[in-house]
This record gives sequence, structure tokens and C-alpha cells, in this order.
Amino acid sequence: MSDEPYPEEILESIENYNIDINNFIPGHGKGAKLLLNFNKISGLEEIEGVILKGREIENGIVADIIIKEGSVIEDPVHLCFGVNKQSGIQQIFPRIIAEDNTEVTIRAHCSFPNADGLIHKMFGHFYIGNNCKFTYNETHYHGEKSGALVAPVSYMYIGENSIYENNFNLTQGTPGKVKILLDIYAMKNSVIRSNVKAFGKGIGDSIRIRDSVFLEGENARSVIKMKAAAKDGGEVLMYGITEGNSPRCNGHVECQEIVLGKGSTCRARPFIRAIDPTSTVSHEASLGRFPQKWLDELQAKGLSEEEATDILIEAMLKED
Amino acid sequence: MLLELKDVTVPTFDKKHIIVEDIYFGVKEGSIHAIIGPNGSGKSSLAYAIMGLPSYEVSKGKIFFNGKDITDLGVTERAKLGITLAWQEPARIDGLSVLKYLSLGMKDKSNIKEQAVEALKIVNLSPDRYIDRRIDESLSGGERKRIELAATIAMRPKLVMLDEPDSGLDMIVIEDFLNIFNKIRKLDMTILLITHREDIGMVADYGTLLWQGKSMITDKFPEVMLRFCAKAGLKEFCKRTLFQDDNACFGEDYIDRIFREEEEGRS
Repeated sequence: MSDEPYPEEILESIENYNIDINNFIPGHGKGAKLLLNFNKISGLEEIEGVILKGREIENGIVADIIIKEGSVIEDPVHLCFGVNKQSGIQQIFPRIIAEDNTEVTIRAHCSFPNADGLIHKMFGHFYIGNNCKFTYNETHYHGEKSGALVAPVSYMYIGENSIYENNFNLTQGTPGKVKILLDIYAMKNSVIRSNVKAFGKGIGDSIRIRDSVFLEGENARSVIKMKAAAKDGGEVLMYGITEGNSPRCNGHVECQEIVLGKGSTCRARPFIRAIDPTSTVSHEASLGRFPQKWLDELQAKGLSEEEATDILIEAMLKED
Repeated sequence: MLLELKDVTVPTFDKKHIIVEDIYFGVKEGSIHAIIGPNGSGKSSLAYAIMGLPSYEVSKGKIFFNGKDITDLGVTERAKLGITLAWQEPARIDGLSVLKYLSLGMKDKSNIKEQAVEALKIVNLSPDRYIDRRIDESLSGGERKRIELAATIAMRPKLVMLDEPDSGLDMIVIEDFLNIFNKIRKLDMTILLITHREDIGMVADYGTLLWQGKSMITDKFPEVMLRFCAKAGLKEFCKRTLFQDDNACFGEDYIDRIFREEEEGRS
């Protein structure tokens, strides 16, 4: 494990998401934590009910995070994957297991403040047992040069009667090239809520997100909400996929995208499929600009059109 | 005059129809001035044109504010000069907190929270309950209207246009709104009140009657209201509700004469 202090730049970028960094600097805060500085583990703390193991490999780490059966973890588990170098490859192979009857919130922070040719990849497996409440909050900051390539892939199994909530936020800085693939398999009576927010701010920003939910268990329910804005040449493509494969399951996909400035592109592709006659799957997509009336209302308070649009984007990306 | 409209004509966005034509009136600084008229007479459209909304461009005539010709200015510039509008049905922008919303138009950004608290108190909303709430569907229509009013108060504009502030509100709430108008006036703001209700308009000092897209009269409010009733043929209503004996603005003879003139004009 590295003894070097954790880079200030990374901590500052996380603070910009209104996250109290004192909770996850090694030796501080109550929660379990795993901190990665490029490809070196620089902090690893377990608490009662949480097993955290990490092993450094070439270009990254393999990590196991296990929430022990029956544990209700009050303080969030922090995972911080930071790189303050300009370039290089960081690969994360996490395996996250929440055993039956557990409750936990995981906060993952991926911060690459100087990225310019940096590659971050993740290949994650999540197993959420029965009767669990599992929340995964993920915030990203990829610097200001559109210089990162970020490609996380996750497979998730959500057990019976469990609630899984995923909140992904990439709204600060310039994203660079982002390709996210998330497959969620929802079992009987489980509830899936996924909120994805992204903002492409320039010609070097290309965000492609595919969130898929497979409602495999009876009465499983899901809501995927994807919100994005593309500005000044940025590109956002969102696939929201839901399959209703079981009796009385219910899924909904919602994509809302705002496109601003010439050369920007927003595309939303809700893809829904129902193979059980008692299942319900729906989608809703809107692309374009904000309603003129909203702009008028804010401009009547003295804001320019650009300022009003920025406020509305900020508001849209803050919505639940 | 704080605001003057001289022969203002506003067409529809596609320019195929006229919404209001040759509108001519002035609003005195420090007054409450009501624009009254039936539904469809062009009251709200005229307010939008004064605000400078892009879909309500003036095709003829001039608008002056504080003596300055603002006809060709955009909505942002007009707002910066001190004109604003409290909307009839303000939008709900989930993700914006009340505090953030109120702060948008504040000129002094140094003590935002104190200003927001003051504005919320003026519209009789508890700052503790509302300041961190979001502008979303959880707010009732009345609450949203009060927050809109608070946002305009926080701007400290010279002229605030209130577009149908009474719509969708019950009588108790309306009474409260009338008190709020008087509080706003004490803050050195001039109010241009858009309404089709006589009880709301009675707080006004002056009024302008819009009828089928034209300004018929600008005068002290009771006189304007009387003309409105005469145009609408509401003589009994007029006598019963507006000009009762113990609160008479006009003698019965005068009311009869105005109605007679209107009748003759029509024939």
C-alpha cells in the first residue's frame, strides 16, 4: 500500500460535488474505504460488517467488497479511484457482494483532474442478495481537457425483495470519451431505480450510456431516468433498455436530453420489450431545447438567454 | 409617467392577426394600475409585449419606460431596466430550490438568504418551510404564485406586472393577495395589474379598459370599471356590487347616463 498522501487535486474535485472529503481520507470518517491513486492502493479501511480486499495488478487493481449477511451499514462505503497524471491506464476489476438482509450505500468517486490521454476502465460484478437495500452513488470528474476515455462495464444481479438504486453523475468538467454499459437482472419483487446524468460540453466530449434492466422475476419493477445535455459540439447517446420477462413486472424508461449550440448532438434510444402478457413496460423520451416559456420566465428576472439555459441545465441535472 | 404605451399594436406570432391595436395609456410611478377587460381582450398579451417576449413583438407604436424608448429592447434588457412579470401560471422547474429561484433576479448578491427570507415573509410564506423546497409539483398553485411574487419582490423592480394573480385561488387567499399588493407598493414598486375581476381591480388607483383588443379608456379605476360594466351590459351587477349606497363612487344618475351612452353608441 502506498504511503503517499492522497493528491489534493483529486480531493478538491470531489468536494466540488458537495461531498465531504473528510469522510474518506484514510484515518478519518467512520465508513469503510478503498482509495486508489492511479494504480496504487493508498488507503483501505474495513469496518464491522464490511470486508474490503484489494490487490494491485499491472495497470490497476482487483478488489472484493463484501457486505456481510444481516449487516446494516450506517456510514457510506467510499471507493475513490483517482488519477492526477495526464495519461496512463487504470483498470478496476471490482466484485461487490451484498449478502442477504443487508443495507448499504456505496459512494464511488472517479476523478481524473488532469486527464489528457488517460484511460480508465472498469469491469464490475455486483451480486445483491435477497431483502437488501443497496444504493450505489457514482460521481465522475474527468478534468477540463476532454482528455479521458472512461469505459465502465457492470453486471448486476438484484435478488428477491431487494431495492437497488443507482445514481450516476457526470455533470462537472469535460467528460471526454465515455462509454458506459450497465446490465441489471432484477429478481422477484425487486425494485430498480437508476438515475443517470451527464453533460457533454464541447467537441471533444462524447458520452454513450447503455442502461439495461431485465425484469426476470415476478413483480419486479424498474425506473430508468436518463438526463443529459450536449453543448458546443458535445455528443450524447443514451440507450435505455428494459425487458419485461416475468409476470406482472413493470418497467419504465425516461430519457430527457437538451441540445445547445451548433454541432451538438443528443440521441435517445429507449428500447423496450415485453414477452410476458401481464408485464408492463413503457418509455418516454424528449429531445431538444427547453420550453420558451421557461426561458422567458428566467429572462424576465434579468438573466440572458445563455444564463437562463445554464440555470435550467443545472436544475435538470439536479432533479431526482 | 413610469410606463407609456403610444399607439401600440401587437400581432400574433405569424403576423396574420392583430391581438391588440393602437393601445395608448400611461402608468404613474408608485401607483397600482389595473388593466381590465373580458377574457380574450388581449390583457396578458399586452403584458407579454411590455415585457418584450419574442413572440409578442410590437409591430406599430412605441413603449417608453422612464422616458426611454424600450420598444426594440429584448426581455433581458427590459428586466435589467426594472420591469418584470409575475406569471399567471409560473413554471415548475424541479431541481431549482426556492432560494436559488429567488436569488436569480437579485441585484445585490451579497446577502441572498436574508433577502429571500424577507421576500418570503412579504408573501406570507414561512421561510423555514419554503426556502429549501424545490419548485416542483409538490407546491400548490397558490404556493407557486406566492413564490413567483416573492421572486419579483426580491428583484426590487420599478414596475411589476401581475398577470391574473387571482386565477385559481379561493376567496380567502385572494384577500391575502390584496394585502400583499399593498405591501409591495410600500416598497416603491409600481404595479400593473392584469385582471378580469372587479374585486381584485378595486385595489387599483387607475385602470385601463381593454375591449376587443383596443384600449377604451384610462382613468381612475372606478370610472374604468363603470365603463367596463356598461360595455358588458351589467347594470344591475354594477349597482349591486360596485357602487352600493354606503360606498358610492357615483350617483345613480351618472351610472344611468353612462349606460345610456353606451347603449346609444352600440345602436
